[in-house]
Amino acid sequence: MNTISTICAASMLLMATAARADYAAPRTAAGEPDLQGVWTNATITPVERMNFFPQLVLTKPQADMLEQRTREFAERGSAPTDPDAPPPEAGDDVGGYNSFWIDAGTTVALVNGEYRSSLITSPADGKLPYTPAAQAKRVQLLMSIRDGLDGPEQRPLGERCLVGFGSTSGPPMLPVLYNNNYQIVQAPGSVMILAEMNHDARIVRIGGEHPPTDVRTWMGDSIGHWEGDTLVVETTNFHPAQSMRACIRYQIYMSANATVTERFTRVAHDQILYQFTVDDAEAFSEPWSGEIPMRASEGPIYEYACHEGNYSLPGILAGARREARTTDEGAE
Amino acid sequence: MVRHMRRLVGVLMAISIVQCVNAADGTVAGKPDLNGVWQVLNTANYDIEAHAARAAMALRPGPFGPVPAKAVVALGAVGAVPAGLGVVDGGEIPYQPWALEKKKENQANWLARDPEIRCYLPGVPRATYMPFPFQIFHSEQAIFFAYEYAGAVRNIYLADPGEPPTDTWMGQSFGTWDGNTLVVTATGFNDRTWFDRSGNFHSDKLKVTERYTPINAHTMNYQATIEDAEVFTRPWTMSMTLYKRVGADARLQQFKCIEFVEELMYGHLRKEPLE
Repeated sequence: MNTISTICAASMLLMATAARADYAAPRTAAGEPDLQGVWTNATITPVERMNFFPQLVLTKPQADMLEQRTREFAERGSAPTDPDAPPPEAGDDVGGYNSFWIDAGTTVALVNGEYRSSLITSPADGKLPYTPAAQAKRVQLLMSIRDGLDGPEQRPLGERCLVGFGSTSGPPMLPVLYNNNYQIVQAPGSVMILAEMNHDARIVRIGGEHPPTDVRTWMGDSIGHWEGDTLVVETTNFHPAQSMRACIRYQIYMSANATVTERFTRVAHDQILYQFTVDDAEAFSEPWSGEIPMRASEGPIYEYACHEGNYSLPGILAGARREARTTDEGAE
Repeated sequence: MVRHMRRLVGVLMAISIVQCVNAADGTVAGKPDLNGVWQVLNTANYDIEAHAARAAMALRPGPFGPVPAKAVVALGAVGAVPAGLGVVDGGEIPYQPWALEKKKENQANWLARDPEIRCYLPGVPRATYMPFPFQIFHSEQAIFFAYEYAGAVRNIYLADPGEPPTDTWMGQSFGTWDGNTLVVTATGFNDRTWFDRSGNFHSDKLKVTERYTPINAHTMNYQATIEDAEVFTRPWTMSMTLYKRVGADARLQQFKCIEFVEELMYGHLRKEPLE
């Protein structure tokens, strides 16, 4: 029985590999591989390697177990509230999101037929290779997110609605807690990649040069070229305020002088393989790379308006002012 | 006879212009190629109706006539309003009486009420004639508009999306072709966007029918027909020309203005508010 299973698994793996090798991406009228459509990179696989799974590749039972746990978590969160539950005590943390708001994916990332334990593929341990100085800087920035309440500029970009949380718009484009959708449209000389959160259209020029290093833009400056079936995008000139890519799922620091190289390859009618490398000698002891499946998403993407209804930011600042007043009054 | 000849020449020229557009710029799926970075060259964002130049958007009574309001007086000539012939067909917006009163009230309270001042999404059609370019991405499968102002975006559905699921700032857009004209029907708006800095407004019953018609390789005619029975006595139309940027200028920049309005919106919540 075991032998048969092994043969089956091996032949399935071969079939999966063969399917990819045989797959010919559709072409646009201009003859480029067609990457257009609405895609999602939502997955329960974390960016960095889980401690209890040291290997990059998970077994099927391991992947099943992680997906089952995710389903159970969602079911628990969706269960009706106990009508007899007592009200929270004054000062209790009632939490932020319940599972209704969370849309981080339900499946383990499946790349080339492999279930992945981390989106990072290199270094081999699946961990971000920070230099000690960058790790210290990262901790300092995280503390300033917690404690920095003196003005709006100290709050993270997602709270300010300047760009989405974490590294959702990237690059690299990494999944966050929700709104992990992207739309790609190809036009002569450019590829537009819309990140749902914060309605951010990344406009990748095909060919050309980056501006002088003192010109810095949100999501950096992206230049692309085609290598066979792959769109290769190089991004530099990052805005310094985008160095901390913080969200609930991860908090990544990279310097504004990083170079990010992304590779978009359509490997099936319903999947783009998204590969990236971050080259940043100021923050990391070596370049780090990752792979994320971008799966065809049931569209469409609806409007993401954030700033227009941003009650959180004034609430956070006003809360800090109120707290300071209460503390002062208590001291008197 | 001469008159007939002239008419014939005119028709032939018109036909050849249309053919040139397609020959020079190519087509996308048999329709005019709308790809490019486009922008108006008018002052409609100040006031879509005809207006003379004036000292400021926000005025207050002075001893010898209106003067700039205190909040904007320091801007001097930079804060002044350039004149415009207006873009409303027929010259006047057919407001219902109550709505005309509200428009005047909006104008008098411009600093407090214009959503542009707070960097809110501009809505339609205002997004088109903001003093910023926008880029059209036009392929066989998709038409997508990215606006420089506030990083606003619109995906133009090419298959009927049905009723909009909810009200939004930029609405829901459904594109069809009428010959060489891209017709975009936009619905599902909230009532919080304006048409310009002069307080011209609409309700959440707004329906905008836009017509994008190439004139030649570098210009496009833009029409937006406004239907909103709650505010106006009849449908009315704006018309203007869109110009295609060329060379090094044909690139969208970023104008993510949210951070530029944080002092205005949240400055009073600082630990130490500025004097």
